[in-house]
Amino acid sequence: MSEHDTGGDGARAPVDPGLQIERTTLAWLRTGLSFAVGSLVLTRLIAHTRPLVALGCVLALLPVAVLVGVLAVRRYRADSALPQHRQPLTGGALPAGVALLAVLVGAVGMVYTVLL
Amino acid sequence: MAGSSNETRRWPKRVYGQGDEPDARFSLANERTFLAWLRTAMALMAAGVGIETVNAATSRPQNPLVTWLALLLLAGGVLISATSFTRWAATERALRTGRPLPAPRMGAVLGYGLAAAGVGIAVLLVVVGI
Repeated sequence: MSEHDTGGDGARAPVDPGLQIERTTLAWLRTGLSFAVGSLVLTRLIAHTRPLVALGCVLALLPVAVLVGVLAVRRYRADSALPQHRQPLTGGALPAGVALLAVLVGAVGMVYTVLL
Repeated sequence: MAGSSNETRRWPKRVYGQGDEPDARFSLANERTFLAWLRTAMALMAAGVGIETVNAATSRPQNPLVTWLALLLLAGGVLISATSFTRWAATERALRTGRPLPAPRMGAVLGYGLAAAGVGIAVLLVVVGI
């Protein structure tokens, strides 16, 4: 990877002055990791009393966490292919989905707190 | 992927249906702010789950005040998660239409809420002795 490599086309001039897209991708990955770690810890705590529920949570959550990461990186690739950011960026579906996931994690946390 | 056909496909319509494309740096900054709010919300939830877990592990029966504090922190996290997307959308719309950005209402809720939670924890520590 050269320092000008912003998604496969090394011949193009730097398309990301200020590394805005890279910072945003890293913010996505940070958020995805917090989500993954938070839900895994919560799952581990639930496993103490309800192992089957916890197993189901892990099986449902891990693919979702991986999917968020993959979509975030693909977002980066698609956006960085746009010359000088003059083209529209990706829309609001992924933000909405991740916000919904956070609400779900909070709801599970509340159920855990009440039942514990 | 690129071009004006993207305009019609982009969701939500109430954001992308009006105004002009802003400088992409503003959209990206808006997205990062949204993500920072989400991480803050998840930190609040983690704090709630954490204090309730400690509560269950250390006191029999559990201290109900700690449970209420945990529920409050979790509810705060849920509230911030639920409003973060709406705020992202409102900000993006303001960027597109050139209008002023929406007021940061959740900032006050988070600031005063955390102050109240801090006082609550201090009281629990000193008076109740959790």
